[in-house]
Amino acid sequence: MHVEHQQGVGQQRRMDVDPVSRVTGGLALRTAVDLERGAVLEAKLLATLHRGYEVILEGRDPRDAIFVSSRACGVCGGAHAITSALACEMTFGVAPPPLGISARNWLSAVENLIDLPAHLFLRAGPDFSEPIVRHTNPELWARALKTAAPGIATHGFRLVSDIMTAMTAFSGSLYREALVMTRVAREAYVPAGGKYPHPQTIVPGGLSATIDPTVMNLTLLRVTKFFDYSRRVAAVWDDLVDFLHEADPSFREVGAGPKNFLDYGQWDDPHAYDGTFENAPAWGERRWSTPGVIVDGHLRTTNLHHIDSRVEEFVDHSFYEDWTTGGGNGFPTDPGGNEISARHPWNKRTLPQPGSPDLNGRYSWSTAARWDGLGMETGAGARMWITALAARQPHSRLVQSTGHSLRMALPQAALPAGVAEWLVPDTWNALERNRARAYSLVHSTLVAYENVVNGLDLLRQGGASAGVFTPYEIPRDNRVGVGFWGGARGATSHYMEIDDRVIRNYQILGPSTFTASPADGAGNAGPCETAALATPLLSTEQPERCIDLLRAIRSFDPCMACASH
Amino acid sequence: MINDERLVHVFWLSGMSCDGCSVSMLGASNPSVEQLVLQTIPRLPRIVMHHPMLDDDSGHDFMTAYGQAVDGTLGAPYIVVLEGSVPDDQSIQQGAYHSALGTNADWPQGLRATGAPDRPVRVSDWIWAMAPGAAAFMAIGTCATWGGIPAANGNITGSMGLMDYLGASYRSARGMPVINVPGCAPVGDNFTETLSEVLLFLEGHRALPAFDGLGRPEWMFDQTVHRHCPKAGYYEEGVFSHEPGDDQCLVEIGCWGPVVQCNIVERGAINHIGGCMVAGGACIGCTMPGFPDKYSPFYKAPPGSAISGGISRVTGGGIRRLRRLSMRKGLHTGIADTAHKVPSGWGLAHNGDKNPIDKANGFFYNKLQYRGSVNHAKRNKQQPLPASRDILKQMGVDLEASVPVLGERVKTREEL
Repeated sequence: MHVEHQQGVGQQRRMDVDPVSRVTGGLALRTAVDLERGAVLEAKLLATLHRGYEVILEGRDPRDAIFVSSRACGVCGGAHAITSALACEMTFGVAPPPLGISARNWLSAVENLIDLPAHLFLRAGPDFSEPIVRHTNPELWARALKTAAPGIATHGFRLVSDIMTAMTAFSGSLYREALVMTRVAREAYVPAGGKYPHPQTIVPGGLSATIDPTVMNLTLLRVTKFFDYSRRVAAVWDDLVDFLHEADPSFREVGAGPKNFLDYGQWDDPHAYDGTFENAPAWGERRWSTPGVIVDGHLRTTNLHHIDSRVEEFVDHSFYEDWTTGGGNGFPTDPGGNEISARHPWNKRTLPQPGSPDLNGRYSWSTAARWDGLGMETGAGARMWITALAARQPHSRLVQSTGHSLRMALPQAALPAGVAEWLVPDTWNALERNRARAYSLVHSTLVAYENVVNGLDLLRQGGASAGVFTPYEIPRDNRVGVGFWGGARGATSHYMEIDDRVIRNYQILGPSTFTASPADGAGNAGPCETAALATPLLSTEQPERCIDLLRAIRSFDPCMACASH
Repeated sequence: MINDERLVHVFWLSGMSCDGCSVSMLGASNPSVEQLVLQTIPRLPRIVMHHPMLDDDSGHDFMTAYGQAVDGTLGAPYIVVLEGSVPDDQSIQQGAYHSALGTNADWPQGLRATGAPDRPVRVSDWIWAMAPGAAAFMAIGTCATWGGIPAANGNITGSMGLMDYLGASYRSARGMPVINVPGCAPVGDNFTETLSEVLLFLEGHRALPAFDGLGRPEWMFDQTVHRHCPKAGYYEEGVFSHEPGDDQCLVEIGCWGPVVQCNIVERGAINHIGGCMVAGGACIGCTMPGFPDKYSPFYKAPPGSAISGGISRVTGGGIRRLRRLSMRKGLHTGIADTAHKVPSGWGLAHNGDKNPIDKANGFFYNKLQYRGSVNHAKRNKQQPLPASRDILKQMGVDLEASVPVLGERVKTREEL
């Protein structure tokens, strides 16, 4: 943390945190803080990376889309590959056979088993580790040393301080276990995915993978290792979050934000998904996690058409020219006839304009994605929250959506069978984001398990159900297609327009384009910026480290490679 | 030994990157990143890893060591690792960048900074500033090595690989040109293994590892990926996949493996599991300097496959038939040959010497097999069949009557 431009009044200072470490991609923070009052006065998030993927894809063969666009993000390349495949399929008019859909489902869920522990213990975890808590809040450390950890029967740690010690970077047992478990999950990914990150088997029309009992077995036996691990992770975060909330109620304000969420849903019903835009509301609601928008805690829609048609991207504070002055692409509606604005991705052109950051002007390489003009949170919290409120989950035998919680039944492994229940929280803040992410590890484990088991059934049935690929022709006419999907960080969409078998326009919207965005045209800050502004600085020592500010930012698990491609 | 404390700093720089190489590195286990950082491998020095995705510190606390490395005040040698390509942003508008890290306040004291203290520093600036003092400069992944996707046709960032940026005359402080570990993303072990080899060399424990003409670890990249491909045998026999999901050689659905240097099929994607063609995915050349443009459109047959695939169909067809003949012989045990019966309820029939072609084939085959040696198969002819063979029948066990049937009985091939 660098302190500079010290201003006259009290402890008000400008702070540059460049880079923000333990996030993915290039992220810098420009803030003004009042260390005496412990308040954040200004917070601007700078995406400091731009590669021009959308421009590179223009004018290429549509078959290049998947393997080029997936490389926008090396943390959730699988999510981008599948999203791109869905966009191709809608454009070409093709859908995979049931086993192909199942396999994509389990790959996508297994990707979360890599990504979620990596965030919880490699990126966010060290903020709550012994070395950091001891230095920034010695009184909390003293209290942790005397506080029993209620989840001992599940996770095995006696005291809350033992959990904090275990979260220490590299030397801590939870940190090292997370590294090992992400490798177990990678081993579950590659038998059908080929490699990770950037799978080699995702193609339009399904999968280029040979699915046989060995592939299923390699996958299944690794997924089941997460039955116990995910429960332990949830128990660890339960104890940590509850301890901090109780020790200092002000922690409820750290990273606090409005309850606005957006998700496209994930994991298709192998017998419902048909790849058409027209039927998106129907197959969308059949997904393992339900698409939806929540505004102020209330579920507004679960209809993919309504979710998508109100999405807009602003570049008022981003290093791009405004394409709307040039007329954009001129789509007044989406393919379903729903009205869309000139700022909708269908109408967007990518016109980069590099510049030096100006906090009152353009300062980020990320655009500002909004829904109906509102900043939206994406990610594990959004996915869990929408799925819990929507009370759908049509196929799951293990996950029950109650309208106010997700009840997840875990099969017996070394731990006896049991239930993990994620309750929609009263307050929404950095700690609850991490708790939701921990429970979403349980959720993703069960989704992966159910889809592998489904896949085994389809394989046993043989015939057309056991195929993984449907042949396609690339049409010559002018066509559009979109993929709605998600990764560990949530909502991901790719928009493709082709003409004469060439990509005319390709737009990528990552989850962090919503969360880690700069201010929009109306001057409203991005969700991450908003949460930073709401954060009280609670350190009793080393306040200049602004650890709570960083906890708030990291709780979103920003991925700047997704945000700015 | 190059330093008494046996301590080496590793500085990670992310240029035009997706962080996928970092993710690969974290997945490595031969060695793993925690083994390297916690110094649990004999002879390897202690690594101080400065990695933006892993570091406890942020901002200036994190960046200070970068400046010290350039200023020569670090007190220990350092290696720089670049992930992502280098954008051509040195000449664009003042203060603008495609990839930035830290601010002017972090810039080495010995070098002049232009602009305000909070102006972001381009990653391309860190690269030229850190290169001369680095004991080794490693490029991880296809972007950093050759340019990769950010340098693909149509890009507007002018991206390039590290060798293009530093120039062919670049040598590190220990005299090495850029070391390249390509792959999009690379096999994690390929990187950590190369890093440990380089560290052992710097520590004086090993000779300079063998790098090829492009700075790649030769033992990893000197073979085409096809040579070790589990589907290469199909190619040899002229049998090809017609569409994704098929099990045979993938060349005709767009696999470039026969002309791409990579080791993912023998090493696996991780811990000998997976790998593109092992799973059934076609090679798109992601380790090669020509990636992506020289291998796209993806999933379209490479032009060369029309000729080589055609030849292999002709020659491979004959080879495949001959192999089938030889294999049939090996499917029978000695007992089965004597009894003229395969003891399998699954339907495999013994066609041994009933067929005159098989009979003739068997004769010449044996001649060749035992030429210059002894035909021990002759002894089998004198060997009586085991007396206890077919024991259930000898004991008069009635399977239908005595064994409780659990669920539906499996049908024989004839019944089906």
